[in-house]
Amino acid sequence: MTDGRTDFSPLDPTEDAERFEDIVASISDAAAPMLAARRARASVVGQVGLWWKPLLAAAVITGIVSVGALLRYQASTRTIAELEEVGIAEAIGVPSQIADWVWSDEAPTTAELLWALEEES
Amino acid sequence: MASYRGPDLPDALLVERARRGDAGAFEALVRRHYRAAFAVALALLGNAMDAEDVSQDAFIRALERLDEIRRPERFAAWLLQIVRNRARNYHNYRRVRSAASLEEAQAQSDEDTADAAERSELRAELESALSELGKTQREVVLLHDMESWKHREIAEALEISEGMSRQHLMVARRALRERLGVEYLKEHSND
Repeated sequence: MTDGRTDFSPLDPTEDAERFEDIVASISDAAAPMLAARRARASVVGQVGLWWKPLLAAAVITGIVSVGALLRYQASTRTIAELEEVGIAEAIGVPSQIADWVWSDEAPTTAELLWALEEES
Repeated sequence: MASYRGPDLPDALLVERARRGDAGAFEALVRRHYRAAFAVALALLGNAMDAEDVSQDAFIRALERLDEIRRPERFAAWLLQIVRNRARNYHNYRRVRSAASLEEAQAQSDEDTADAAERSELRAELESALSELGKTQREVVLLHDMESWKHREIAEALEISEGMSRQHLMVARRALRERLGVEYLKEHSND
């Protein structure tokens, strides 16, 4: 039965199968360089896309470890420096005021020396 | 190259694969939507040869802009918008592609068999009848009767209501029937 459709088959580009294959081939040929460029781009972007999460995680872990190690190193070097300046003198029983004069290369006056020794005793 | 002639893959998947440069996926999109693209181009240009040029060009434009498509599942509607734009700019396009006219002339001479001549006459008659319709009527009747689109699909693609699509189809068919006679009515089951 008819539903009133118009027969457009003389205009239908797929009616002639051979001609339609030519059309598809023509479009595919014209598209080939663009598709090749897309494949090349997809391979680079795809690799980065595949690896960016593990790479980011590794970078974050390396960063945390590095910062921790740096802080620990700074803390330990500060302790050594302080020990070198004051701690060693105190450790061997030299009064701190005298140790300061020794480190600063300044000679105390007699009154200062007496006062320091008196203070220590 | 992967084969896409088996079970139909959804447009969204084919678009995704074509974006990555899959030639088979792109070809499948061409095979699936060429007729609709041609129908719209024909509706706008009124000439099968021009419509063929524009619809082929539209697929290449679509591939260039494939990353811009926001809803790949609506590839057909998006493609038809490109076809419309290309058809509007057709005169510029013709100037750029003027070299192609030699190929057209060759194709014309190849049709010189009696069968092809008769077909060509029928085509000219249909083109002439279509030219008397409004632009939207042509689009609706070609998408519906040639491409077998549903009114819902036509309405979505042409951004009109389903009611308007039905109305355009009715008016277009009546005009074509008056112009061409009943022999152009196709035997079809109701949809």
